[in-house]
Amino acid sequence: MDARYLKERAFLIITVALAVIAVFPVFHVLFTILVRGGQTLLKAGPSFLLDVPPPPGKGLGGIAPSLAGTLMLAFYSSIAGIPLSFFAAILAVEFPRSLIAKGVRVLSKALLEIPSVVVGMLVYAIMVVPMGQFSILAGAVALAIMMIPYVTTYVEEALESVPFTYREAGFSVGMLRSQVVFKVVVGIAKRGILTGMLIGIAKVLGETAPLLFTLGRDRYSVPTNVFEYGDSISLLIFDYVQTPYANMHEVAWGAALVLTLMFLALFTLVKRYAGEVRL
Amino acid sequence: MKEFALEVKDLNVWIRDKHIIKGVSVQIPRAKILAVMGPSGSGKSTMLRAINRLIELIPDARVEGRVEVYGRDVYAEDPYKIRRIMGTVFQTPNPFPHMSIYENVAIGPKINRLVKSKRELDELVRWALEKAMLWDEVKDRLHDPPHRLSGGQQQRLCLARALALKPKLLLLDEPTGNVDPVNAVKIEEALKGLVKELGLTIVLVTHTPQQAVRISDYIAFLYMGKLVEFGLTDRIALNPSHELTVKFLRGEV
Repeated sequence: MDARYLKERAFLIITVALAVIAVFPVFHVLFTILVRGGQTLLKAGPSFLLDVPPPPGKGLGGIAPSLAGTLMLAFYSSIAGIPLSFFAAILAVEFPRSLIAKGVRVLSKALLEIPSVVVGMLVYAIMVVPMGQFSILAGAVALAIMMIPYVTTYVEEALESVPFTYREAGFSVGMLRSQVVFKVVVGIAKRGILTGMLIGIAKVLGETAPLLFTLGRDRYSVPTNVFEYGDSISLLIFDYVQTPYANMHEVAWGAALVLTLMFLALFTLVKRYAGEVRL
Repeated sequence: MKEFALEVKDLNVWIRDKHIIKGVSVQIPRAKILAVMGPSGSGKSTMLRAINRLIELIPDARVEGRVEVYGRDVYAEDPYKIRRIMGTVFQTPNPFPHMSIYENVAIGPKINRLVKSKRELDELVRWALEKAMLWDEVKDRLHDPPHRLSGGQQQRLCLARALALKPKLLLLDEPTGNVDPVNAVKIEEALKGLVKELGLTIVLVTHTPQQAVRISDYIAFLYMGKLVEFGLTDRIALNPSHELTVKFLRGEV
């Protein structure tokens, strides 16, 4: 056996070993959530999604108010955040030299890494205090702020990936600029745009810190409108893990599994749409 | 006064500080083919984009001079309106990838509200595909995406897309540059047919003198942004008056 062959083998083994080390924690997390959360779900049955949480030390109950809260938060933060991000990205790509577009670009990149607890504080100061109470609305605004830089950046990248020649083709058949943007560029980038939006929703689904001082943590009644106190699955997990009660730990694991399944559902959607339009 | 199909007067184009087109003037009558030939980098494509004003998509491009298409001053009119009387086919086939074959041809007439009914649109699509000599190959799969077509077929689809607007002037930027020889011949045949049957005027950018001689009525020879020679193809092919033209025809520049 010559040295080159051995080197080649060593290289392969090291690559595989490092890759395994890198992905192992991810699988470990998924596996643990699946096993421990699965136990809770099996024990509690479907009422886990329909019931209110148990008193300390007794039974499993359910996470209905938190689940409803998470769904409402995802919905309301999306209807605010997604259109804003979409048009911000269009502006940034279509008018790259305007001052506003430059601002959008810089801000959306900078806000990507903003500490989420700061966003929670900000919304506390500008919404919760003046309105005199926590609310789903305040939580949704905080999440929208978290979401906008992500979706804007993804949509920007999707729009920019459309080759220039298709714009020319659009203009050459007599399209107006708006038609080139919406019928050609957005059409070609559609899948990338959709993926960006779904990733934005997934991103805020698990956020906890922006909700700490905005949502109010009412986890014993299902909210009926956005001005009420609410809860989210992430907050429930955050609180219950810190209690000394075994049954609440079990609820937290079950909630973690529900949240993970929501994630996986979203990413299945992303995967389905993630393929690019073939050029 | 005789009206030309295309009249370019003292055209100058700058992109940033680079002087790309330097005082070019040509004029051709209706139903003729003008071949703009020259080595790469001579400004041929830029000249085409100055005619249909797509040059304005490029930041820092500046155009001086006058372009008239069928008597209409291109730079005095609304660019979106004036582009509708010109069809453009680009160097690399660029059918809209997210639309079907049918939609690619139908989009122009739809945008410009040229048709009133679905039937009328169907007929127009068929007509354009026939004129581009593509109909027989795609009539059974009009709703397929264009990437299933070969490069040459895609280019003819782009030709059909341009024709569906019933343009008076057709601009082609090396339409056979990225296409196999069989498809190249088909495209050339289609172009000749368009001139003969519909009276279309064509400006064809090419870097091969053979193609220019084969299909054009007039030749404009560009070199480094300057118009070296312009005239009837027969005259230039047989008796070029400039040394550079001779060299280019021989394949030496």
